[in-house]
Amino acid sequence: MVGLSLGEKHFIQGGIAQDLRCDGRKRLTYRPIYVETGIIPQANGSARVRMGATDVIASVKAELGRPSSLHPDKGKVSIHIDCSPTAEPSFEGRGGEELSSELSVALQLCLLGGKSGAGSGIDLRSLVVVEGKVCWDLYIDGLVVSSDGNLLDCLGAAIKAALSNTGIPRVQVTADPSSDEQPEVDISDEEFLQLDTSGIPVIVTLTKVGRHYIVDATGEEESQMSSAVSISVNRQGHICGITKRGGAGLDPSIILDMISVAKHVSEQLINKLDSEIAAAEAEEES
Amino acid sequence: MEYVSPEGLRLDGRRPMEMRQLRAEIGVVAKADGSASFEMGNTKVIAAVYGPREVQNRSQQMSDKALVRCEYSMANFSTGDRRRKPKGDRRSTEISLVIRQTMEACILTHLLPRSQIDIYVQVLQADGGTRSACINAATLALADAGIPMLDLVTSCSAGYLNSTPLLDLNYVEDSAGGPDVTVGILPKLDKVTLLQMDSKLPIDNLETVMQLAIEGCKAIANHIREVLLENTKELEYRRGV
Repeated sequence: MVGLSLGEKHFIQGGIAQDLRCDGRKRLTYRPIYVETGIIPQANGSARVRMGATDVIASVKAELGRPSSLHPDKGKVSIHIDCSPTAEPSFEGRGGEELSSELSVALQLCLLGGKSGAGSGIDLRSLVVVEGKVCWDLYIDGLVVSSDGNLLDCLGAAIKAALSNTGIPRVQVTADPSSDEQPEVDISDEEFLQLDTSGIPVIVTLTKVGRHYIVDATGEEESQMSSAVSISVNRQGHICGITKRGGAGLDPSIILDMISVAKHVSEQLINKLDSEIAAAEAEEES
Repeated sequence: MEYVSPEGLRLDGRRPMEMRQLRAEIGVVAKADGSASFEMGNTKVIAAVYGPREVQNRSQQMSDKALVRCEYSMANFSTGDRRRKPKGDRRSTEISLVIRQTMEACILTHLLPRSQIDIYVQVLQADGGTRSACINAATLALADAGIPMLDLVTSCSAGYLNSTPLLDLNYVEDSAGGPDVTVGILPKLDKVTLLQMDSKLPIDNLETVMQLAIEGCKAIANHIREVLLENTKELEYRRGV
């Protein structure tokens, strides 16, 4: 927990009111983002994203499974986040579970669309190998190694980077697809298919402190927030999901205002993130 | 199965007495008082130290020495096949205890009465020897936090397969069913502080295998000392001394 004195609290709030935050940023500026890909060789794809002192790792593992009977033409994706006690001693034992499940649910809402899988950032149809019989299950695991605010945006970015790093083995179906039996599949260990990640949204969290709102709040700034709205926006500028945290009520008109600001900020964030991911991939290959 | 080829090479191409590549970095968790990452080949762990600080639970406070606590956790993606494990299963509780006891033995706890030191180790990748890697990472993190210690504890494992003593087992060799001797030493005092072995081993060979593990510990100690020196030099440079 952040322990701040009255003077420090006033300093943070005053800075935000004057559009000059403690680390010299403006209200709508992100901290520098560092991306590293391919850090977990055992996973199909992985990435580590750092924003200031916030440090998260995301990994993607693909396993063959059966599609659900309700949606035979779609693969399955699940997101699970863990908060390591290295990030904060209060996450020790079961202490991090509440935050972990809050983050997991928020990311599922923002990235995977509704229960039916419609509006998902990942094209679930591309994960199907044999309709109704075999599909790829993607398990996305996030780990918070160090936390200094804005975990949701950072995790969203890490998952996006890990998915662009993911190679799914090419699968050859040997048995007749029309028969009722479970078809036999042959997994290639040389050929990999890249996932289409252009539709995956980024998450922009606007944190309201006093009368203003800021992006990419640090831990100290987050301790002063009244409420926060996380908006996920894709490349086309469409809103893919919204979650609100914090107790204080917000005026509906402010929310609409926040959404338009988030749309504007997300353009820069997507471009920045894409270039960082491309640079990380190039570095990994060299 | 053959774990040592006739040419004397192991499955991953190492010689029997060769260690995996070591990599260590200090200060990987910005908010912790001390932190380090330690890699032995494909095994990668992060350790973070918080403290010495006020004791959280008053009833555990000791008026003559510091309270040392440790938690070991494995990331979901750390093993080859993904499985969700509940926190605090038996294996991690046991490893937490081993690490705590080993570290407590080398921390000068009597210098920090009524305080608490928390050590958190997180396994990012497991490929055999996580126990050793965690102890090595914890040593570095404690040194980074500036906690007074008797010596730098280092740990390394050794095994015995195909009638050959092998240093620093990886996952495949570890699960081969042969003995796995994990040793932790205080290199400067030349004392063994941790010794664990599973499976059986002819008593005549125990000494050679243990000696091999001790040699491994000493090599790790040299590496850790170099990393610490490098880090201190950089801090000195930054301060402009």
